[in-house]
Amino acid sequence: MSYPGQPGYGAPHYGQQGAYGAPNPGGYGAPAGYAGGYGGAPPPGGYGPPAGQFGAPQGIDPQIIQWFQAVDQDRSGRITANELQRALVNANWSQFNPETCRLMIGMFDRDMSGTIDINEFQSLWHYIQQWRSTFERYDSNRSGSIEAAELHTVYQQMGYNISPQFVQTVLYKFDHYGRRSLTLDLFIQSCVLLKSLTDAFRQRDTNMSGTINLSYEDFMTMAVLYKP
Amino acid sequence: MADPNFLAGIFQRIDKDRSGSISAHELQEALSNGTWTPFNPETVRMMIGMFDRDNSGTINFQEFQALWKYVTDWQNCFRSYDRDGSGSIDKNELKMALTRFGYRLSDRFYEVLVKKFDRQGKGVVAFDDFIQCCVVLQTLTSAFRMHDTDQDGWIRISYEQFLTLVFSLRS
Repeated sequence: MSYPGQPGYGAPHYGQQGAYGAPNPGGYGAPAGYAGGYGGAPPPGGYGPPAGQFGAPQGIDPQIIQWFQAVDQDRSGRITANELQRALVNANWSQFNPETCRLMIGMFDRDMSGTIDINEFQSLWHYIQQWRSTFERYDSNRSGSIEAAELHTVYQQMGYNISPQFVQTVLYKFDHYGRRSLTLDLFIQSCVLLKSLTDAFRQRDTNMSGTINLSYEDFMTMAVLYKP
Repeated sequence: MADPNFLAGIFQRIDKDRSGSISAHELQEALSNGTWTPFNPETVRMMIGMFDRDNSGTINFQEFQALWKYVTDWQNCFRSYDRDGSGSIDKNELKMALTRFGYRLSDRFYEVLVKKFDRQGKGVVAFDDFIQCCVVLQTLTSAFRMHDTDQDGWIRISYEQFLTLVFSLRS
């Protein structure tokens, strides 16, 4: 790979591609608008009563409230990774894998309770929708999964300067069924890991040479931390 | 190695459907971490993967004898660090155990480790998670060693090598 001299490995150039629609560069898994406060998003006009009319949380899209209630099967007011898993499906109607659900709950669970409330759910929902539209855009043959060549294109367009060989490593490790392609859940998981690792690498690559010195302890901590 | 007749009795009790081999499900039901919680399914899968020599996805009696020894060895090891017999070990006990194994890692690392392997959210590591933890550390260390050719505890690694290293660790 031609790493040095590149505009920055792994730096998603969303800035230049405003309409790209991939999860924004605002930080680890944060969808657009995540930092800006949840209440700000106006509900889509034209359908449903305004939020709040039935004692619903203020500023939450009524459609989101409906989805939240459908997912929250035990009516606890909070969603667990298991409840989320039962609600999410890939294009081939297979359930999302438990790892991706745990990963996403962990990203939006700001009070570290292991569950998410309706506000956190709204952010998560938008986050998944953004990934879904990215996924669909690159699944050029509409197979419901992303193959090696498509995956390489997505990573490249997200700004990750990686080789086709690396894409093979990703497929080999994530695709448990030997189909040589990734469903949406695995695609999200691979992108989140790729982003975390790229951030971690960049933090250590202070002179931007594309090579770092890594101690045993530093490596072990990182590997355990990012272990699914 | 334990008495084969004794083990045969155990094997038959675990093999509930009398198929002559033990499935992951049967193994999970049979294994106990002493806390009435189901045995970590990842640990069960990992053990089947380690001892299932004929790749049948199940464990026959021959494979079971090796697996039994493996679990008993881990159990003895775990018990010697679980001083109060609570069925779980805390951060300091975990550090003591792993230091005895030869790992030299900081307290900060052990905090991360306990957090990651504590499935019950109690700040401690149960027996099943302890096995999982030890095997993961072993895998990570040998991956690092492969790159650490001069064995000084530091590696020099490029962006893509780094990504490949961590991505390849996924089990």
